[in-house]
Amino acid sequence: MYSVETYNLTKIYSNGVKAVDKINLQINEGEIYGLLGPNGAGKTTTIKMLTTALKPTEGSAKVAGYDIVKESMKVRMNVGIVPQDLTADEDLTGMENLLMVSKFYNVPYGKAKENIDKLVKLVDLRDSINKLVGQYSGGMRRRLELIMGLVHNPRVLFLDEPTLGLDVQTRSLMWEYIRNIQQIENITIILTSHYLEEVDALSNRLSIINKGKIVVTGTPEELKKSIGGDIVVLTFKNGKEALQATDILKTYKASRITELSIKIKSSDFSKDSQTILGILKESNLEPLRIQVEKPSLDTVFLEYVGRSLPDEEGDSDSRKMMLMMRRLRK
Amino acid sequence: MSGLIPLTMREIKKWYRNPTFFIVGLLQPLFWIALFGSAFDITRTAPQYSYYILQGAPNYITFIIGGIATTTALFTGMFAGMNIIWDRRLGPLGRFLASPIRRSSIVMSKVLGATVRIIVQIFILFLAALLIPSGLILPKNFNILDVLIIAVTVLLIGIFFASLFSAIAIRITRQETIMGIVNLVNLPLMFASYALFPKNLMAPWIGNIAQYNPVSWSAIIIRTIIINGKLSQAQWNTVLNNFVYLLLTTLFVVVITIILAEKEIRN
Ligand SMILES: Nc1ncnc2c1ncn2[C@@H]1O[C@H](COP(=O)(O)OP(=O)(O)O)[C@@H](O)[C@H]1O
Ligand SMILES: [Mg+2]
Repeated sequence: MYSVETYNLTKIYSNGVKAVDKINLQINEGEIYGLLGPNGAGKTTTIKMLTTALKPTEGSAKVAGYDIVKESMKVRMNVGIVPQDLTADEDLTGMENLLMVSKFYNVPYGKAKENIDKLVKLVDLRDSINKLVGQYSGGMRRRLELIMGLVHNPRVLFLDEPTLGLDVQTRSLMWEYIRNIQQIENITIILTSHYLEEVDALSNRLSIINKGKIVVTGTPEELKKSIGGDIVVLTFKNGKEALQATDILKTYKASRITELSIKIKSSDFSKDSQTILGILKESNLEPLRIQVEKPSLDTVFLEYVGRSLPDEEGDSDSRKMMLMMRRLRK
Repeated sequence: MSGLIPLTMREIKKWYRNPTFFIVGLLQPLFWIALFGSAFDITRTAPQYSYYILQGAPNYITFIIGGIATTTALFTGMFAGMNIIWDRRLGPLGRFLASPIRRSSIVMSKVLGATVRIIVQIFILFLAALLIPSGLILPKNFNILDVLIIAVTVLLIGIFFASLFSAIAIRITRQETIMGIVNLVNLPLMFASYALFPKNLMAPWIGNIAQYNPVSWSAIIIRTIIINGKLSQAQWNTVLNNFVYLLLTTLFVVVITIILAEKEIRN
């Protein structure tokens, strides 16, 4: 049985926007599954449907074995969610927030306290758990949000952009916590992100989602392999040689990228290098410099979506959002 | 409704922890007493008719305390609605909606939270009115049953307003919108009622409208009891009629609020 399974899941908002378009997902138990896509791709809408906050327009889905429409209360009992927006009450302490959420799930006090203590330790919040959430830093708030979704020992955890607006160091710390949680709780985690490195670092499998549609699914390695292996940049003494090499290496999809250098594709350059350099030697060509670029999710994304993830833009967007939320609170 | 108790506790905690809310909430009824009870005495220009104007009350504070209690409930009730919108804007509502609790418990916790505030405020109000010089004068045979009727009336009018403003807030996303609505309805609710003035001082058309205003019902119940103590048959009937109106209207508003909350509340 899959932990999450969707059949043509679709959401059309009342204003006609088709945010999610016939998505089919099969997520195994105990997996960290990434949904990678730019802003507006439909990630949050998908998560909202899977956590019963939104009703799908078409299609259906089962989460933890329960139908998201017909058995929505059971779904809610069995999933944890860390939404994109912060949800803790700033006028309460971290502990009070966690205990309140435990009560929503009828967790008895003793058990709740025990579970909370364990979670708080897990994300290093012990020193500040009895402070008002209003006094937390951005990173602390995100950590609190992370464990607020776990107080009732859910079987599936949804993380919607869990590191949005955090700086690089805090972000990699969050990744560590997420990995630990997955291992200790042995839980299925569905993670959305528009940060390539995040999905690459965390997920066992992922789907790239763009304009509401799933573009490709696989493990990060499979996806990287699928774009045809390594990208090799060869630099020559002069333009004439570079031109000549482009011609000779046609079978490797060679193309000029600067006056002196060409780019070729090789499924595995560590194996192909002998052959390639041999072919060049026959024509008396020897590259001055060889650079091998291992394929990254960046190149995968470029290949399947047709453009790069606007990471910078996304960053400033989320930062603006965080600022706005701060201001609102003051 | 596993969410109702923890969410109501949250409301109450937030209230007494926030010093401004707490102190303002307690000062407000005292201002009312000072302003309406003494600065605004409607019998001053015609003291010889005061017994008639005040329907037998020994002084204006005694006459008006039921009205002030009701108006306090009106003003505090709107916090229930405002707090729903704050929870939506600041994020906690998203957490509540994702939890396996009844949607109505989210809204009803606001209603109960506001009602608790209202009861504390009105308790302080009565206490202050009794303590100040030439303040509230209770009738000789004022007894525990009278206290009970007043308490239940206060409870009902508190629930009524908190519920009304919560129902309004269920689909509203902007604080400005509910402030606008509150400003629009508060004045007519307050002044087209018998809360502050007796019917015989009002223009007939307002006086007639006022009898359908829940503010009037609550004010009349408290006033009749607090002026007379031992009631005549006619006074009992007045109290009973107004109480039934208030009870039914409150139940109606609560039911509507619960239905709306279950169906319509979203982030
Ligand atoms: N409540 C809404 N009403 C109408 N359109 C919406 C709503 N929420 C999101 N959208 C639109 O749906 C699309 C997908 O949004 P979303 O799921 O938030 O994407 P992501 O989380 O991947 O950034 C976007 O075009 C967005 O503008
Ligand atoms: Mg999103």
